Amino acid sequence: MRDPTGFSWHADFQNGWDTEALQNAIDKCNNPSDPTGSGITEACSFLTVSNATAASQCKISPQVDEVIDGQMGKLPGCNPLQTGPQDAIVQSGQGCSAIPSDGSESGDYDRNSDRPKVDQLDRSAPDSKTRRYDRQLRLWAASGQSALESSRILVISGTATSTSILKNLVLPGIGHFTILDSLKVTPEDAGNNFFLEGPSSIGKSRAEETVRLLGELNDGVEGKADLRSLKEVLDSDKEWISEFTIVIAHNLEAGLLERLSTLLWEDESYPPLVVVRSAGFLAEVYIQYHEHTVIESHPETAQSLQIDKPFPALLEYAMGLDFENMDVTDHGHVPYVIVLVRLLEEWKKTHSGSPPSTYPEKQEFKKTILAMRKKADEENFEEAEAQAYRVWTPSNVPLEIRDLFKDPKVTSLSPSSPPFFHLVNALAKFTEEQPSHTLPLTSTLPDMKANTESYIHLQKMYKKRAEEEKAIFKSYLQVPVDNDMVDAFIKNSHALKLLRGKKWGTLDADPQALASAIETSPKQLSAHLALTALAAFASKQQPNTPLSPTEEELTAEAQSLLPSGVDLPDDFPAAVGEVVRSPTADLPNTAALLGGIVAQEVIKMITKQYIPINGSCIIDLIETSTGML
Amino acid sequence: MATQVSETQDWPGRYYHIDQVLNTPGPRTDPDFLAGDGVKNFLRNQAKILVIGAGGLGCEILANLALTGFKDIHVIDMDTIDISNLNRQFLFRPKDVGKPKATVAAEFIMKRVPGVTVTPYFGKIQDKDEDYYLQFNLVICGLDSVEARRWMNATLVNMVDPENPESLKPMIDGGTEGFKGQARVILPTITSCYECSLDMLNKPTAFPICTIANTPRLPEHCIEWASVLEWPRVYGDKKMDTDDPEHIGWLYKVAAARAAEFKIEGVTWSLTQGVVKNIIPAIASTNAIIAAACCNEAFKIATSSAAYLNNYFMLIGTDGVYSYTFEHEKRDDCPVCGGQALEMTLKPETTVEQLIEILVEKQDIQIKKPSLSTPTKQIYFQAPPQLEKATRGNLEKKVSELVPPGGEMIVTATTLPFSLSLRISYAT
Repeated sequence: MRDPTGFSWHADFQNGWDTEALQNAIDKCNNPSDPTGSGITEACSFLTVSNATAASQCKISPQVDEVIDGQMGKLPGCNPLQTGPQDAIVQSGQGCSAIPSDGSESGDYDRNSDRPKVDQLDRSAPDSKTRRYDRQLRLWAASGQSALESSRILVISGTATSTSILKNLVLPGIGHFTILDSLKVTPEDAGNNFFLEGPSSIGKSRAEETVRLLGELNDGVEGKADLRSLKEVLDSDKEWISEFTIVIAHNLEAGLLERLSTLLWEDESYPPLVVVRSAGFLAEVYIQYHEHTVIESHPETAQSLQIDKPFPALLEYAMGLDFENMDVTDHGHVPYVIVLVRLLEEWKKTHSGSPPSTYPEKQEFKKTILAMRKKADEENFEEAEAQAYRVWTPSNVPLEIRDLFKDPKVTSLSPSSPPFFHLVNALAKFTEEQPSHTLPLTSTLPDMKANTESYIHLQKMYKKRAEEEKAIFKSYLQVPVDNDMVDAFIKNSHALKLLRGKKWGTLDADPQALASAIETSPKQLSAHLALTALAAFASKQQPNTPLSPTEEELTAEAQSLLPSGVDLPDDFPAAVGEVVRSPTADLPNTAALLGGIVAQEVIKMITKQYIPINGSCIIDLIETSTGML
Repeated sequence: MATQVSETQDWPGRYYHIDQVLNTPGPRTDPDFLAGDGVKNFLRNQAKILVIGAGGLGCEILANLALTGFKDIHVIDMDTIDISNLNRQFLFRPKDVGKPKATVAAEFIMKRVPGVTVTPYFGKIQDKDEDYYLQFNLVICGLDSVEARRWMNATLVNMVDPENPESLKPMIDGGTEGFKGQARVILPTITSCYECSLDMLNKPTAFPICTIANTPRLPEHCIEWASVLEWPRVYGDKKMDTDDPEHIGWLYKVAAARAAEFKIEGVTWSLTQGVVKNIIPAIASTNAIIAAACCNEAFKIATSSAAYLNNYFMLIGTDGVYSYTFEHEKRDDCPVCGGQALEMTLKPETTVEQLIEILVEKQDIQIKKPSLSTPTKQIYFQAPPQLEKATRGNLEKKVSELVPPGGEMIVTATTLPFSLSLRISYAT
């Protein structure tokens, strides 16, 4: 007998296993040749065994308030006893729907397929992973999170700074990290690195200890210790490095850093390199990348509503309203967008088609807005006056976006070009060929004084038009692009970013660029030169000798980079003095601050959301300031 | 056991990194800096530091302080650990969910960094009195509420006794939101205080009640309807617990139904929770930056190894790394540290009730439910009920009937640890 009512859905046996964990335990544990073979659950790495007392505390609260104990008079709901063999009959009438239509409680699962409905994520209480990541999902959403989760990060050396960076990447849930470090933990390491266990870590592998303790922060992240030296990898296994999403190197010896940066610069598809240098209170962060494109830059400003160039349906609606004979309540609820469109159109009729442009004209226009009020307290007209600038601010394509159109990668497109360039190319054509010469309209409408009906109606008009313009935009695309990406692209088309970077060391190899930086950013350049001089000095020393340069030695190193006759900046002595004071100090606070800054940048690079730095970020923790070079 | 711990405490080389800046001054170090053993002894054996908050910033602050050599650290936090803390509060594990933050954080630090004592207090800052706060050299705040910061700030400002320099406790305050944050150093009565900068805060988004009730347009309006109007209507006095998934589930369902009725799109569980809990996005990296900046200031103040921040550091990481370091100026009419009364000009016909509305709206005061009096008489008191009843009649009276031009009015509220003095004048 079939049961189309759904009410007899019952469970004799239910289990709460995470299917992945259970499958893994069956496949990979229960193996005769290892300790799990004799049924020792504790030995299976896929299972976390809790004691019975703890386990019995773990309860799930019921989703539906109903009697679940003892003998029940009948099954819940509108559900009379029906006998077979024929199919049960679906009962009709109030409260008789077995499958609630309002999305409440048990309606989140489609009983016929056992699979969650598409919008289940939005409808029911979030799962534990979503709850764990809630505060960051509000910044970079599921798309950013999934990019993080598929990333693989290589960090070279397990210093305090390195582990501080990794801590802030493991917590939000990157996919994998490797620490490449051949050294043993020293007493000095044990004193300043939070991811070592004090004296008990001394003498152990620094990579293994730090990976172990970082791993405790997040079960979902895979960590690996690689005990080879960077030199060994560069000599014999350099392809291995290119398999990571991004490479981070802290206080690397200058020669090795040069080899690493040259290697990663060779091919555009190789991972970006984050160079981190620090000494005492001074530090520098640089990201080496060829190119970085951002669609979701999370701009502070919204797209134009295009009031100056209203789409036909909007114009027609605005012109069709009878303000004179309108009900007083409705009059006070006409959205400002409509008011402005209407008044601009009327204005243009008497001003040879032009919007208000001079100051007196703008004032006059504002007066006409307020003159429309039927009552003094109509807030929608006050709002229209405050928003009147939209009438004379043309909805042109922003300059930065127009510059993008001229980019060689946009103008010489090939089917294999990345989607970003295809999208920009289509955008260029759209803005050129469509009569409004604007960016495609977006459906995001800000809140405004209006009643529900008029606001929703306006929102629908914008949505409809945005869909139409999207279809036109897509017709310019030469290759298919994922629909979500098209949506995000159009929504952010006023704030797209294309960054082109330089190889690490470009600045130091260019005396003219250094000379001009002396003028533009003397403080930042001073710190940069002091750190470069320190690295150069250290490279010339015999290995394993204490590093204690004098101010004179470092000043000479820095001076040698500049064109002859050019003096070091006035700020240089203050910077070099600090470097000489603490040439090998990886201070816990500096490490922690770098850990935050580098992790922010790495997250922006991986998620392709928000805008990463392009160049060097210089950090001075005496003044507590940062600056770009 | 005790001897074993002390033997392993300061192993040779432990402070190799820190000692580089404590053994020698730098070019910008104050000439009064006494490099060497004296400063190390003070930092490691005498300094006593208080950390307020053991959450996103607090966890970072505790770890940094312990590694830089502070050995006597106290921490106050009234919260317990929630699963949504685990993406950044790195001293906590899934097994700790439900336990007090202060206790778990203190235990973790003591286990990880040998020889450091962290004394937790699981409770409110308001539970402690001046004598308690007087025992510390420094206070670092990693708080998530304006109210708690105002209380701590006012308490430390009020504690300053000009006769006793020891009574001045530097307060270092950090805050973050998403990729942005700020760190500042407050020397009570000397530099600008937290109250001086209240007008820099973003105005909280408040939806007019008539929009919520009659003309909803956004999903947020529907959620507010569910939480502000429907919850009390259906449940009466029963308190809404925004941490209870069943309560959120109910609000979500009610908001979604209202949204469907008005054809409004976008009500989700996540948005519902975000609106009713006023959730601020938070990530480990931003907390790390701000906590490090705070601890670096604590270290510099405690050791004089470098000049400390004067007095405000603001960081924005959304578009590159942008920061701004500046001196926030003290306000002479700051109700906490200014000493001068706040000038207020009213229309002669303004009633007491209207004045209360003006005060509640005022961005640089941010007061809820103020009570008003003059030095000689009570004007309006929100509580206790008898006093409220006795003074209620004054609400309709004009202020000008009760306070002469140039007269003083005192404003108090239970949320404030200080009283605000207004100097009233009337526009002619």
